[in-house]
Amino acid sequence: MTLVYVVFGAAFGFLLSRSGAADYNYIQMMFLFEDLQLYGIIGTAVVLTSVGLWAIKRRGRTAGGEPIGIELKPLHRGNVVGGVLFGVGWSMAGMCPGPILVNIGEGKIYAVAALAGALAGAGVFGVLYHQLQGFFHLPPLGVGTGEG
Amino acid sequence: MPLIVNGMPPLHWAVAGGGIACITLILLYVGNRRLGISTGFEDVCSLVLPQAYFQRGVVRRGRAWRLPFLLGLLVGGFVSGALDGSWAVTWDLGMFDTVIGFGPAGKLAWMFVGGLFIGFGTRLAGGCTSGHGIFGMSNFELPSLVTTLSFMAAGVVTTQLLYRVVFA
Repeated sequence: MTLVYVVFGAAFGFLLSRSGAADYNYIQMMFLFEDLQLYGIIGTAVVLTSVGLWAIKRRGRTAGGEPIGIELKPLHRGNVVGGVLFGVGWSMAGMCPGPILVNIGEGKIYAVAALAGALAGAGVFGVLYHQLQGFFHLPPLGVGTGEG
Repeated sequence: MPLIVNGMPPLHWAVAGGGIACITLILLYVGNRRLGISTGFEDVCSLVLPQAYFQRGVVRRGRAWRLPFLLGLLVGGFVSGALDGSWAVTWDLGMFDTVIGFGPAGKLAWMFVGGLFIGFGTRLAGGCTSGHGIFGMSNFELPSLVTTLSFMAAGVVTTQLLYRVVFA
């Protein structure tokens, strides 16, 4: 199954690479409202995924017959503050988490620094979780802020 | 506008959006997995950091699929760059080079700081463009709507400031 996930990831990464979603210029043009390519991609993906989710949830089982289990993300103050911080980073680097890895694969050497920063940022967050928990009303440690 | 990676025009947005939806749905239908990439940063941290946060069940259980998926993203980028035989290590950063114009050291520092915001922000928000923006929005989850509006708004403000004010 491990190899299957590598293949899924590779297909996903290829699409991000060839669509502009992992391209610095397209990210900036999206935020400048000068090119609608990425809005079209996100909009199409959300509409089609919601239709597919409806169908899969209606069936209720995976292809292998396992019950579908979707872990819902909790609502907390971190959604807004974390979202804003992430938005600043996405604009600066011109990459969101998936495209950081895609860019490294493409040979864009500076993306290695973005990955180092992202790992450090996630590391600092995890180490400080208890200190941040009260202020941001974050869920108990076992639950976390939401996976994904 | 040509892509930085190969100088070619991008896929049509409807094709790319449809492909992303397909992979998201197959991941759920075959693997019973909720698409989400930023937790992968925690998975990597969990390999070296002993803190309770990184050794939680939800992190450790997801590693078996998320780490291979992350590896796949690297492979996908490589294949995309290598398919026409033109893969090369590059510092090309498109309009950053023409407008902001930092050299290699400046770019690395800039990217590291951007990465810090991405890593800390996505984990505080509980997800990124994939987990909140695509999966969560498609599943009509309120935290995902709130997070997506927050990061899109902050991205718009930051880029507008950088390209229309600071480095204009």
